[in-house]
Amino acid sequence: MTVLNPTPDAAGASVEPPSDEPQMDRSGRTAARRRKLFSYAILLAFTALYVGPMLMLVLTAFKSLPEFFKNPTGWPESFGFGNFVEAWEKANIARYLVNSVLYTAVATAICVFTSVLVAFPIARGYLKGAKYILLLYVVALFLPPALIPQFQLILNLGLFNTRTGFILLFLVNPIGLIILVNYIKSIPRELDESAAVDGCGYYRFVFKIVMPLIRPAIATVTVLHAIGIWNELVLPTIYLTSENLYPVTRGLIVFEGLYGSNWPALAAAVLILMTPMLVLFLFLQRYIISGLTAGAVKG
Amino acid sequence: MKIVTRDYLFARGWRSAAPILLLLPGFGLYLLIAVGPSLATAVYSFTDATGIRGIAINWLGFENYDEFLFRGAASRDNIAALWRTLVFSFFVTTIQFGLGLVLAVLLNSRLRGRTIFRTIFFMPVILGVAIQGLIWKLFLLPGGGPVAEIFSWIGWSSEFLGGQPRQAFAWVIVVQIWANVGITMVIFLAGMQTIPESLYEAARIDGANGWQLFRNVTWPLLTPAVNTNFLLNIVGSLQAWQLFLVLIGYRPGTQVLGYLVFAEGFGQTSGSVSSAFRQGYAAAASIALFMLVLVIALAANAFVSHREKKYLS
Repeated sequence: MTVLNPTPDAAGASVEPPSDEPQMDRSGRTAARRRKLFSYAILLAFTALYVGPMLMLVLTAFKSLPEFFKNPTGWPESFGFGNFVEAWEKANIARYLVNSVLYTAVATAICVFTSVLVAFPIARGYLKGAKYILLLYVVALFLPPALIPQFQLILNLGLFNTRTGFILLFLVNPIGLIILVNYIKSIPRELDESAAVDGCGYYRFVFKIVMPLIRPAIATVTVLHAIGIWNELVLPTIYLTSENLYPVTRGLIVFEGLYGSNWPALAAAVLILMTPMLVLFLFLQRYIISGLTAGAVKG
Repeated sequence: MKIVTRDYLFARGWRSAAPILLLLPGFGLYLLIAVGPSLATAVYSFTDATGIRGIAINWLGFENYDEFLFRGAASRDNIAALWRTLVFSFFVTTIQFGLGLVLAVLLNSRLRGRTIFRTIFFMPVILGVAIQGLIWKLFLLPGGGPVAEIFSWIGWSSEFLGGQPRQAFAWVIVVQIWANVGITMVIFLAGMQTIPESLYEAARIDGANGWQLFRNVTWPLLTPAVNTNFLLNIVGSLQAWQLFLVLIGYRPGTQVLGYLVFAEGFGQTSGSVSSAFRQGYAAAASIALFMLVLVIALAANAFVSHREKKYLS
């Protein structure tokens, strides 16, 4: 399961959570404190399950191979960057990164741009049968998987193991389209009326007025779609056989196949690829949320 | 012929073709690479298509289905994989739902650091299966790994992902929940934020305790989030198989239906073009999985709308 979920995250909302402690007598207060301690105990236990694996990864990335075999779990003897250099060189990380950036950027740009052009007339009901077009996007979530015929299509187009063929797979996003439609509905129709009265044409209206106005929704869909492509593992496994076309996910798994027992180098490779994602996530988390809540508030 | 409706406000005449011209690339792509192939899966399931271009494709009727469900040792494996898919889905759905709810309840109070906790629990979602899988492969290192160490303190030992099929399977369930409980939690949190504080105050004045507040205010008013999570968890876990690929590969006694489709259609660990891959058969398997998901999702949906009527009318 991916993060492609249109539900607004609670994180950005500024609503204060219900307070645990209105005016309470002394015994009520100790009970509340005990409850708080209990909450923290559970949360910290869970945190250990999330921080533990990460810590293991970081510690491993700083150990030499013999050191790792001798003592996999403990603290490393010294913190050198030898494994990172080795991983960077042997795992072709630079090339995979370039590929991933290329696939993600091109496919996301095309997908979002064409989706806006579909979403606008549907949201406004400007086209005959707009309702049915929207329905076709909604039921997509309940149709059988397209895996096999998609492969036959790419194969017969002669696009197997090509960048074009691979990018083609990521050019649509039904959930993203639904997010866009809902957001456009929140923009007052009077805007269309006054623009039309002033003699503004459809093209100019869509490109110059609608697109800037729905920027929060565009940002949301862009981020969700891009994350989905970046993390995709199965499709590159199926469609790309040349190593120089691999994105980072596939590259990592292939590196694991070759260096499976060399955990320090492998851990370093994982860490190199994970860190930018985590940093980006810390910024985007808020961004995704503000985009979604802005759409919800305006309606 | 008129393409636009009466509501259309912009210039008419030949220029009213503008909306459809702009819509066509996106909609065309959608039909070509999503809807078309999706529907064609059913057609391919009646053929002997392979992974090679240019080989004639023959019509087989129900042959693939017959073989998948009823013929020989392979069909017994398939049925076993079907049961395993249900077991996987049951454990993932119930545990992920429960943990997600507990975490959301805890984080919806005025605890210091709750944003940090929330970020930590949501983090794996952003990393994707390849990194999730590798992190846990390392964490579950048999012989000296952290989990192995902790197990040894209490006298347990385990081969983890390399152990007996049942054991490896159970660990994949653990990682699957670890990776996705953040989504469930965030959806619950979003639902909780829509519950007005005044209701809690009123209930407190009536003398309700913590459990009663949850049972009589939070739970019923959380119905939309509960339903969303319930359905998403069921459907998601029935279709999930990618962590199996990263964590244990295609091992006998561990496959779920999703992995089976991939392995029959594209090989067990990596894709390539080969006549050995029976894509018609794989299409039949994927239709079988689809029917399973559909039946269970419809049942779950009926249950959920029944609940909705009970609480929200």
